[in-house]
Amino acid sequence: MIKGLIITHGNLGKELVAVAEAILEEKVDIECISFDWRGDGTGAVHKVEHYLGQHRESNVIIFTDMFGGSPTNICYKFNRKNIEIITGVNLPGLLKFLTYKDKDIPFNDFVKLIKKEAIEGINIISEFLGEKKK
Amino acid sequence: MIKETIEITNKLGLHARAAAKLSHLANTFHAEIHLNYNTDRVDAKSLLGILTLAASVGNKITIEANGKDEKKALGEIVALFKAKFNEES
Repeated sequence: MIKGLIITHGNLGKELVAVAEAILEEKVDIECISFDWRGDGTGAVHKVEHYLGQHRESNVIIFTDMFGGSPTNICYKFNRKNIEIITGVNLPGLLKFLTYKDKDIPFNDFVKLIKKEAIEGINIISEFLGEKKK
Repeated sequence: MIKETIEITNKLGLHARAAAKLSHLANTFHAEIHLNYNTDRVDAKSLLGILTLAASVGNKITIEANGKDEKKALGEIVALFKAKFNEES
């Protein structure tokens, strides 16, 4: 089983999940933690530790909003065999995660699949239309 | 391999929620399922793939299914298109 956790500045993660639920028309199984940048991040770290403690037997993907940002930086210490951290969470990547997490895909392959989908979800429309015209 | 061409009749076309329903349904079958629109061909099991078609109302899509449950797959997907993705009364 693959579990998911989103850690973002403010409520960005919660809003992404709300939109994903509207698109998929169902409640989704993913946890959100808001990082309060006015504090020192201790609260968020404790929440991550608590979540990971509850899911020791699972593979977990932690999504963060931006490489180099505090929500990402507090996660480095959690990086281990069954936990991967993917930065720059976006809707395409999140939807792929939610719709494929229950398929029987090896964890390492699954992590790469999510990254690929998230990157492919970024397009410059003029280039995209140009390619279609060729 | 079997195929059928169908016109999109829901107002919003293959937008996010419709694409999610379509990919979700396609993933319940073993058959390989592709959508063809103009010169584009995408995997119907990929939500993002469907969205890249940017297909709207009035456009015609050819659905191809290839596999042991292809007949059931094609039938249910065509029905979903005809039902306007259950988003219009």
